[in-house]
Amino acid sequence: MRLQRRSLNNLLLAMPFAMGGVREASAQGDEALAYYHQAKIDWRQAAGKSLTIAMNKHPFTESLLPLLPAFKALTGISVDYLILPEDQYFTRIAADLSSQQGQFPVLMTGPMRNWEFVSGDWILPLDDFLTDPKLTDPSWYKMEDFYPALIEANRWDGKIGGGVGKGSLYSIPVMEESYILAYRKDIFDRYHIDVPTTYEGMAEAARQVKKNAGIAGIVARGTPSIASLGTGFISGLKSYTNNQWSELNAKMKADFDDPRSVKYTEMWVDMIRESGPPNWADMQWYDAMDAFTAGQAGMIADCDFFAAGYEDPSKSKIAGKVGYAMLPPGSDGKTYSGLWTWALGINKAAKSKEAAWLFVQWATSQHTLLEATVSYRNYNPSRASITKDPRVQKTVGAWGDGSYVKTVEKNLETAQVAWVPEPLRVRLGNIWARALQAIYFRRMSAADALKNASKECDQVFQEVGLSGQ
Amino acid sequence: MSVRRRRRRGRFLPYLLLAPALILLVGMVYPFGLGLYYSLNDYWLQFPKRFHFIGLGNYVNLFGKPLFARAVEFTLGYTLVAVTIQVGLGLAVALFLHARVPGRRTMRAMMLMPLMIPPVIAALMWKVMMDSTRAGILNYLLSFIGVDPVNWLGSPHAAIVSVLIIDTWGNLPFVSLILLGGLQALPTEPYEAARVDGAGPAAMLRYITLPLLRPFIILAATFRVMDSLRIFDVIYATTMGGPDDATTNLSIMSYQYAFQWYQMGMAVAETIVLLAMVVIASYVLLRMWNRSAESAAQ
Repeated sequence: MRLQRRSLNNLLLAMPFAMGGVREASAQGDEALAYYHQAKIDWRQAAGKSLTIAMNKHPFTESLLPLLPAFKALTGISVDYLILPEDQYFTRIAADLSSQQGQFPVLMTGPMRNWEFVSGDWILPLDDFLTDPKLTDPSWYKMEDFYPALIEANRWDGKIGGGVGKGSLYSIPVMEESYILAYRKDIFDRYHIDVPTTYEGMAEAARQVKKNAGIAGIVARGTPSIASLGTGFISGLKSYTNNQWSELNAKMKADFDDPRSVKYTEMWVDMIRESGPPNWADMQWYDAMDAFTAGQAGMIADCDFFAAGYEDPSKSKIAGKVGYAMLPPGSDGKTYSGLWTWALGINKAAKSKEAAWLFVQWATSQHTLLEATVSYRNYNPSRASITKDPRVQKTVGAWGDGSYVKTVEKNLETAQVAWVPEPLRVRLGNIWARALQAIYFRRMSAADALKNASKECDQVFQEVGLSGQ
Repeated sequence: MSVRRRRRRGRFLPYLLLAPALILLVGMVYPFGLGLYYSLNDYWLQFPKRFHFIGLGNYVNLFGKPLFARAVEFTLGYTLVAVTIQVGLGLAVALFLHARVPGRRTMRAMMLMPLMIPPVIAALMWKVMMDSTRAGILNYLLSFIGVDPVNWLGSPHAAIVSVLIIDTWGNLPFVSLILLGGLQALPTEPYEAARVDGAGPAAMLRYITLPLLRPFIILAATFRVMDSLRIFDVIYATTMGGPDDATTNLSIMSYQYAFQWYQMGMAVAETIVLLAMVVIASYVLLRMWNRSAESAAQ
């Protein structure tokens, strides 16, 4: 009952979107439906069923909402949804998944989250759906159109410490993000600040911006959660250590206190403390993104697709003033960015698995994802055909005078899932992020804080018997 | 109606009347018993096969965690400071509203307004007002008197003060209301006698009002101690226990164990420790209340 009311509230909040979507859907009308009917499957095989999907508050979610009426028209399946901010979202779906109530048959997940959910045996492998001719027409769905690296990221064989890219496919990517440096080109040009190519240079550039422009030199996420580490910070650390370091060693012992990690962390935290915003410790991803978009910072090392917001003149004060570059490389000259895809997965306790799969298939089909990108700015595409679409090329090609496309393409050559596969990543990330705050507030030295964090992680891993596997 | 039917109905009536209380009791005892049982087991949502009895293992593990020590310290320290401030200010407000000042009825009605706003909504409202830049209304107002922007929620000390401000704003009316009720119930004779003896307002407050109001003060403090020990909503909506764990209390830590890390055994063990603290504190305070109520009656 409570869920229905909440969903109704969400629906009312999203009404302007939804109404726009209805118009959009009817405008595309038969043409769009004709496209879906090219698939040699019966889209109405689960007609009359209803689905409640759990969605994280995210640009992809906003892009999908206006398209939902088209799904109902195609399949006869009605869709209700619950949208929550990321922290509450994962709490809510964990409660549903662990109780196996199947309240949310379809959920937004992604590679690293899958490791948690697979360990609990909470989500379904999707391979059987993909190979069932009654449910999927492979020649229409075109799995090969997805970037292979993104599909691999969503596969896991369940082996602790490895196995990414092998085994079952647990979710289908709806967007891609890797991590790059976005900087205020106008400020860098005006004050002759060099785009950084080392981490020492990045700290110096941040210092120069703050000194000359009077705004924060760099802005970054800082709340004590895994989300604060998984983008710019860990990509920088991977690059700084030439991809020769991981947060867990081969024996699954935490290695935060490796000297290279200590040195990098000191540099990063000093840079934030000296040139970052004063409320770094309280900043979520959207706070950091909004601060940069509002012109309050000179640099941000975070998701590449945030550019869609930076370059949207209706929302941004810095549209057309941003340059894009890869994060500084390590001594081997290469940058090793992390990689994440929001993706759709299916709850093992879903009551109508066919309806859930039809939704996932529809939402990740070429046409739906193209509409989500072209009309509602869902970046970056997870399908190559969408990236190549002339409308998409025209839009992203203009960002940073072309530097965005070049940077992302180059970044993806070496980008990879930055984390070691294991089911306690959120816990580990929380311990690690809290160590960063202890360093930032000078409660501990970097060496001590990271040593303590490693010890705490090892203890937790030992408790569940994950060490030494 | 036959005598037998009336007798049969009479036999079931006591059970029928007791049923709501029994249902309530079972509704409280069963979850508590289940919680206690979970706290004695190695229970992870993610690893259901690991579920096994470990006795006091979760408690031993918990007491060994540095964060637990910090959370206990914050929980107790916060409660002490918050209750002292809220009862102190509440008394001042109650005395003010009890005095014959013009417009006191309107002020009494207005004072109740924070009680009508759900704590999470109030906390989110405050969070917006406490933005660390001048975009936040508090910093904007402070700028008129030349104060630099305060980093309300982004530094450990300021975050503790901010939580305290929000919590006090929301609960001051409740304390004031209890104490105002107490003031209005006080007998007038002692004041008349004191006035005849030439006692001033300060002496009357010190020697008449405070001793007579003692049971009400203890009652208000008891409620506030119980609430402050387990405060969750305000912290969850503003700092989530940060920065640097400065506002992590036992409730927040328990939430993290349960819903972020899926370690239910530890989470429940922690809430049982918290429950024990609340029970002990309220037992002591209620004994004090009983004693002071008895002496006031004499």
